[in-house]
Amino acid sequence: MAAKKRYGFVIDLARCIDCRACLVACSVENNVPMNHTRIWVHDLGVQGEFPALTRTFVPWNCMHCEHPPCTEVCVSGATYKNEENGLVLVDQEACIGCGFCVDACPYDVRYLDEKRGVVDKCNACLQRVEVGLMPACVATCVGSSRLFGDLNDPASEATRALKDARVIHRVDYEKGDHDTDPNIYFINGNIGESIKIAHPVMMDETSLPRDPQYTLSMEGWKKILVPAIAAGIGASFLVQAIYFTKQLVVGEKEFDE
Amino acid sequence: MTGHKNIPLEERRRLREKKYKKHNLANILTHWFNVGSWLLLLPTGIAILSSPRLGLSPQWMQDMFRNLFGGTANLIRFHYSIGLTWTFVLSFNILVGFRRYFVPFAAHRMLLDKDDIEWLKVKPLQMLGFFKDKQLPPQDAYNAGQKLYMYVVILGTVGIMFSGIIMTFNKVFPPILKQIAQPIHWLSVFAIVAGVIIHFYMGAVFPEEKEAFFSMFSGKVSAWYARAHHEKWYWEKVKEELEWEEEVEKEVKHTEEIAAAD
Repeated sequence: MAAKKRYGFVIDLARCIDCRACLVACSVENNVPMNHTRIWVHDLGVQGEFPALTRTFVPWNCMHCEHPPCTEVCVSGATYKNEENGLVLVDQEACIGCGFCVDACPYDVRYLDEKRGVVDKCNACLQRVEVGLMPACVATCVGSSRLFGDLNDPASEATRALKDARVIHRVDYEKGDHDTDPNIYFINGNIGESIKIAHPVMMDETSLPRDPQYTLSMEGWKKILVPAIAAGIGASFLVQAIYFTKQLVVGEKEFDE
Repeated sequence: MTGHKNIPLEERRRLREKKYKKHNLANILTHWFNVGSWLLLLPTGIAILSSPRLGLSPQWMQDMFRNLFGGTANLIRFHYSIGLTWTFVLSFNILVGFRRYFVPFAAHRMLLDKDDIEWLKVKPLQMLGFFKDKQLPPQDAYNAGQKLYMYVVILGTVGIMFSGIIMTFNKVFPPILKQIAQPIHWLSVFAIVAGVIIHFYMGAVFPEEKEAFFSMFSGKVSAWYARAHHEKWYWEKVKEELEWEEEVEKEVKHTEEIAAAD
């Protein structure tokens, strides 16, 4: 039997020209609503001193982490890491769109689809990959900047590009209990351990990965509710157990009053 | 509760034979419908909670139910279908029987009085082994503990219903409501479950309350049980009975008079 698949992206930063054809291809393939995208191209802005100026564009989508912080906050398991192919997926039939995972994702790659009331994100076009096609963004990429494949398979295009790369970066998030181990490898460009995006629309700077955020209701559960519940149910069980044992020891008759 | 201890044997025999109606058919059916729904909803609900950050449901249970129902989505669908039915039937029963059953029930059987407060002070201490010889004040159709738990159940049920509806119709409600609904949903569930363990033990296992269990099928309890456990309610029943006897006597006298006049 073949080893388990570990699908991931390899992105050649030297080749991205910010044409955003991948965004269009993705939106068409996956019926993404007009006011959202599943993938992004981040602009790191102009860097360096004239005349040695550089500008890096970072194609961005779900990292399909090995240890995703988003799946562990999902109450129902509607979002999960597929054990067979390593992709982080959302079962939109099960999702109620509460948005815990959107706040928890350090890479900001999930969004709430208000109309359908569910969370949506990159699924690496699993519907295409399963029939042997490349994800829409990869298939359409003009400069072959986006590559996709099974990172456990040494013959896949992505793995070979990774082997030939000059520089490799992963935007890993390691802090506290978290170590995301993302499955997107950025090659042939310098973005370091985290990226500072000069956001072209909002004109402010965002740093990714950010810390996972947990809403009050999510945190409140673990810290207050779970112990309270354990104590309450435990106590009531204990009381009935004591009385039942007593009853078994003493015995009973029909005419007990 | 020593009041009933000095009743002579003959009287006790008579009381054991005599039955009083405690629950009407509507109560009984609603109760068992509720039991059935809870048996389906509680395990599936616990199995849905898979977040390791909560650590509430064991992995085998999550897997078993997901395999049984064919995936998370179907498990959730089953859960909310039963839940919506439960919500509908309970609301329907309460609305239909609102004036005839619910209002009198709330007015006569749920309000706490002075005796109940006293009972709440003494009973827990007695359970811990203190004041064993102290008398408990006479109780209504439901004792103070049952009355308190009834508030938990009613508030919890309303909480479960509203939060459940919010989570079921996820297209309609904003994310913030869906986030708040989740802790409310199972805070309510587990408050009720904590009490249900005692309720179940008292109702089905505890020998002194055995009659309470069978009354949930027949609707009737013996006068002796009523006298011993729910004294106030017993005297109310006796009063009702005496009133009825007087009525009958009057009626009989009246018909006799008419017959004599003819």
